[in-house]
Amino acid sequence: MADLAAGQAAGHTTLRVEDIHKSFGSLEVLKGLSLDAGDGDVIALIGSSGSGKSTFLRCINLLEIPDAGRVYLRGELIEMTTTKQGEARPADRKQVDRIRSRLGMVFQSFNLWSHMTILQNVMEGPVQVLARGKGEAKDQAMGLLDKVGIADKAAAYPSHLSGGQQQRAAIARALAMDPDVMLFDEPTSALDPELVGEVLRVMRQLAEEGRTMIVVTHEMGFARDVASHVIFLHQGRVEEEGPPDAMFGNAQSPRFQQFLATTRN
Amino acid sequence: MDVVIAYLPAILKGTGVTVAVALCSVTLAVGLGLLGAWGKLSSSPVARRICGSYTTLVRGVPDLVLMLLLFYGGQQVLNDIGAATGWWTYLEINQFMAGVCTIGFIFGAYMTETFRGAYLAIPRGQIEAGVACGMSRGKLFRRILWPQLARYALPSFGNNWLVLLKTTALVSVLGLNELVRESFVAGRSTRQLFTFFLVALIIYLILTAVSDFGLRRLERRYSVGVRRS
Repeated sequence: MADLAAGQAAGHTTLRVEDIHKSFGSLEVLKGLSLDAGDGDVIALIGSSGSGKSTFLRCINLLEIPDAGRVYLRGELIEMTTTKQGEARPADRKQVDRIRSRLGMVFQSFNLWSHMTILQNVMEGPVQVLARGKGEAKDQAMGLLDKVGIADKAAAYPSHLSGGQQQRAAIARALAMDPDVMLFDEPTSALDPELVGEVLRVMRQLAEEGRTMIVVTHEMGFARDVASHVIFLHQGRVEEEGPPDAMFGNAQSPRFQQFLATTRN
Repeated sequence: MDVVIAYLPAILKGTGVTVAVALCSVTLAVGLGLLGAWGKLSSSPVARRICGSYTTLVRGVPDLVLMLLLFYGGQQVLNDIGAATGWWTYLEINQFMAGVCTIGFIFGAYMTETFRGAYLAIPRGQIEAGVACGMSRGKLFRRILWPQLARYALPSFGNNWLVLLKTTALVSVLGLNELVRESFVAGRSTRQLFTFFLVALIIYLILTAVSDFGLRRLERRYSVGVRRS
């Protein structure tokens, strides 16, 4: 009954994540994290390294299997079960694949498929996972590459692109699946400083278009200006959260104040 | 020269058998190699132990001994089983099958290491990107893993293939009429052993040269998108 009630409540939000726990060996990395994202929300996850923000993001699309907790996408719960050894495991692989296809992921190190051209990278998901026609997928992919400003690189391989171009291609690849939510895992952390701006511009544009986004970031400017909600994590717990104005204008917790002091320079 | 030409059809036929043995063996070896690599990398301790013993065993035994064991010993065991169960009366392992099975089994162990190393060389992010967009396991293997596995495995695969091709000469011991045996027969009946083994040697060289060419083309095909350093 409790599950049913939670499911109905989750119907109002695009993505609901409840009480995620995750340990690596004896190290407890996530100690009960939750998050709600409505349509068009941009949630920034911030915190010092080791606070668990990337692991939390990776638990949402089950790249890491959480030990406990629930993930709902548009009210649909990802069914979990436990193995004989007592480890958590998705109950239905097909369901997980389907939900993952609706959660676009952008990685810190781009992870474009190195044996495919940029155009093939963007077409791959729609053609292989969504079973779209190649012609249709190609038109859509070219449109997206144009949108992120690298249409002229469509025939190039990832290794011939700069980091900023690769990351914009990776964003186009994620967008091609027309996902309900976009997950960004420190999308600018692997970039040279002069390339950060072009990626942030694309992300800002997506936010303005009403994309629902969860962004793990070290870019405080982006969190302050673009996010609708900011969550500050510390040692696997939510230390402070709220709208960016309140968070950055009037930090409550001493740890968040300290974090802001060390990043503000 | 005339004697060579007279025996050439037989020798070429033997060459065909050699190539057939090599191609069948390498197919079996790749299959076993993929299976072995999967087992060695799997989270199941049983699979890891079985595949670990497989590679250890094969690397510690001479190819010829294993081949003789399978051909002579295997036949005996098969017929003992047949007699005990009554399922079959008499089975004969032919030389071709015995050769292919042994060579495939031996090189499957080397291929296991080839594919295991290649899999470990694939950056995790390549696989995660496939998982994250909802690819099924089969699609992930065909579209992402296999092309990259092939890229990293090819240099070592090529090496294995050349050694395998030469190892097929051992099958002559079982009496299969392949290149070495045909050359030997021709050489003995004409009393020109030197000439005919020289012919065999040249044919092996041609086979490996052609392989080298093919392998290089394959490497080029599977290294698209890689910057030459």
